[in-house]
Formats: sequence, C-alpha cells, structure tokens
Amino acid sequence: MKHDNLESGRDALPLTAHDVDLDRVWMNVAAEIWPEPIGAIERSARRLLGSPGLARALVTTPSLVLSWLLASVALLVAGVVATQTTGEPWIALLLPALAGVGVAYAYGPGIDPAFELGQTMAVSTRMVLLTRVCAVFGLNALLGLLATLFAPGIAGLTLGWLLPMAMIAALGLAAATSARSATTGVGVALAVWGLIVLGSAYGTRDLATAVQSDALLPLYALGTLLCGALTLFMTNGNRWNRGFLWS
Amino acid sequence: MVVAIAQKNVRVEGLVQSFGRQTVLDGIDLEIGRGVFGLLGPNGAGKTTLLRTLATIVGPKRGTVRLLGLNPAQAGERREIRRQLGYLPQQLGYYPNFTVFEFVEYFALLKEMPAADVRPAVVRAIERVGLADRARSKLKTLSGGMLRRVGIAQAIVNDPALLLLDEPTAGLDPEQRVNFRALLREIGERSSVIVSTHLIEDVAAACSEIALLDAGRVVFNGTPDELTLLGEGGAGDSPLERGYTRVLAGARA
Repeated sequence: MKHDNLESGRDALPLTAHDVDLDRVWMNVAAEIWPEPIGAIERSARRLLGSPGLARALVTTPSLVLSWLLASVALLVAGVVATQTTGEPWIALLLPALAGVGVAYAYGPGIDPAFELGQTMAVSTRMVLLTRVCAVFGLNALLGLLATLFAPGIAGLTLGWLLPMAMIAALGLAAATSARSATTGVGVALAVWGLIVLGSAYGTRDLATAVQSDALLPLYALGTLLCGALTLFMTNGNRWNRGFLWS
Repeated sequence: MVVAIAQKNVRVEGLVQSFGRQTVLDGIDLEIGRGVFGLLGPNGAGKTTLLRTLATIVGPKRGTVRLLGLNPAQAGERREIRRQLGYLPQQLGYYPNFTVFEFVEYFALLKEMPAADVRPAVVRAIERVGLADRARSKLKTLSGGMLRRVGIAQAIVNDPALLLLDEPTAGLDPEQRVNFRALLREIGERSSVIVSTHLIEDVAAACSEIALLDAGRVVFNGTPDELTLLGEGGAGDSPLERGYTRVLAGARA
C-alpha cells in the first residue's frame, strides 16, 4: 500500500522491538522453562483442596515421597508373607505401627527444616499438618486394606486393625506436636503399640488379641479422641497470643 | 484543611516478651512507617525476638502489636498480615533437594499469592537477588551466600508491605551487600522494611531510621545522623559506631 506522507507510512509499519516489553516477555519465558511442570497429583490436590499452597505442601510430605511409599509397601509385603507362612496376623499388627510412624513424620518443627518460615505463611502450619496427616493416614489405610486382601486366614480381622491404627496414629501425632519432635512421636507410638500388643497377649498367649479383642475397642476409640483433641489443642492458632509457637 | 498522616505499618506499645523466667523484651514502644528501619544491638538484646513477634510467629506476653493496621491476635487478620509479609529468619532452614525456583515458588504459594501471578513473581524475585543463572540448581549445591539470597528472594516474592530481615547480609560478599542495600532502598520506597543487623555500614547505607536495643529495651530511636551526633567520646572506627558504643555505655551506666 502506498502512503503519501512519512507519518501514515510509520503508522503502517509492523511492531518493532521498541513496542514490546522485553522484560515481561523474558519473565513469562523464564516462568515456563525454569520450573518443572505441575504433576497430575498436585493438579488434582489443587482442585480438591482449593489451595495451591496446601496442594504443594501435600505433595512434599516426607512420608508420602516415593522412597517412603516403596519402603512401606515392602514392609507390608513382608507382613503378608509372614502372615501367610505362620498363620499369625502379622500384617494386622504391623499396620498400626506403620501408620503411627508415617503420621508422626508428616509435619512439624522436628521434621521440617523451614518450619519457622512456615509459621509466617498465610496457609497455617496447622492446616498443612492436618492435610498431610489425613492424606498419610488415608493412604496407609488403603494400603492396609489391600494387604489384608492378600493375607488369607485372617477373615474377620480385615478391618480389626483400623481402630488401633487410628489410635496409634493419633497418639504419635499428639506426642510429636506436644514435644515438637517427630522422633518423639515415632518413639511414643511404637512403644505404646508394643506395650499394647504384648500386654494384651500376656493372658491369652495370642498376639492377635490386640487387634481381635472387642474389649479393647472402646479404649482405642477413647484414645483416638483424646489424642486428636490434644493435637488440636497444641496446634490451636488462638493460643498465638499466649506465646506458643504453633500457628 | 486535610492533614495527611503518614501510615504507620508497625505499631508496638508496651511489648513484653518472656520465655520462662527470662524477660527478653521489656516494654518496647515503636512506630514504623514506610522506609528502611534498622535494628541494632548487641547479642541477646532481643532483636530476633522482636522480629519474630512482628513476623507473627509468637504472640506477645503483654502489650499490643498492630501490623499494617491489623491485629495479629485475630486469626483472620493474622492471615491477611501474612499475605503481605516477607520474613527472612536468622537461621534459614531449607529443603536440600528443592531447586531455587521450587523453594521460592513454594513459599509464594503458601503466602496465597494469586496462582497466575506466582511464577512471574518468582522469576522476578530470583532475578532481583542475582540468582537467575542458578534458578534450576538444587539448594544443596549452593554456597552459604547464595542460600541467603534465596532466602531474601522468598521474602520479597510477594512484594510485601512489611519486610522483616534478620541478619540478611550474613555470608554475602561486599559487592552483593552493595546490591542488597540498593534493593532495600528500592523496596523501602513502597514498604516498611525492618532490618536487624550487626553491620553498622549496612545501617548507615540503607536505613532512614534506627532503634538500638539493649537488654530488651529501646535505648535509642532516631536517624543515623542523630546517633552519629551522640558519638563524641565513644569507641569505634566510624562516627556511627562511636555513637552506637556511646549510647550503649550510657544505657548501661
């Protein structure tokens, strides 16, 4: 197209580099190439939780990383094999201990090196903790259910481990949040579960008593509620103005 | 006639902080607006405890704290404060297997920045601290000074209205410190920046106002020039250092 004057000719020229915000272009390019793509699990968690921050915190849970999951599966496979070969419900006895350890290692000042920084975030440490604990417990319950399907001979015990598992997980969490130490939580969970198993087997000479006796169910339920309440109390953000460090 | 009142982003009245029987802050009164505010003081003076209180990590034993016009004792307002807060702790914990980008992005997400803004903001923060060429490096491969800059990046990623920095220049070389002071001054034009430091030259170069803490109390609150004027007879290699030692000596007499 011809133009009669320089002004209209300049108007018809294509955009030059002077018209482009190169800084903004670079930032958008870098924002695409620097990070790894968001995985399918994190995308699903974002939709489920309604919070990208919580979703990211969830997929970075120490007791949900691949190596931890593989170790848990290996342990459960060993438990299934032991159950099949000995006829003792080792898998049902193992599951509460596994959940106790996993939940105690979900989150907290003893396990998160950036915990202090996390306490200044809009997504509270308490929400991160509760989200991770629910995920870890749910996954352990699912793995447990799958494991018991492969352990014939313990019919009737398929879910007998679930309430003890809830109690030991709640106990490990309460101990970890109270002591501000994941290691303490793990130790308390394993020690108490060991005492329950051995103590309940003392009179009956049957290790399965801890996951088989109906008499213990109310104690498990009460223990779960009390430990859960203690955890909620220790992590209550309204205690902020009394100088406590969970937020 | 309308009188413009300078917005005070930080108001602290009668702040007392103690842990067990030890009183760490003993009746602190401060008002801080926009600009760069320096916190000076010897070890154990209470600087870190004051910053942690302002960072909403721990509530006060007594006294009132208002941040950005909000009350951090209320859960909802505390959450809003934290969306506009940046904090660099004295000891920065990090995740060794995170990359620089992942670490800064993680905390940008936890600050509830709008999701669409996060990645460009992370790029900008990393560029501002001079780590663009290490954005994809794992944190365990970085030097101490680089890690400190990563910490600064996560603190500024959300363009905070209140930025708290505890010993930010620890591990930085002189050139990096010069760049960092320029960054502070730039941020201080729009926000309140509180810097706790032992380095007098950082205060002299970047701060428009300073407070000197000793044994949990504010023993000086004013400009660097005012502190310098008090330095006659004090020990030190610079006028500001002499003012610092003179005021401390007077407070302890």
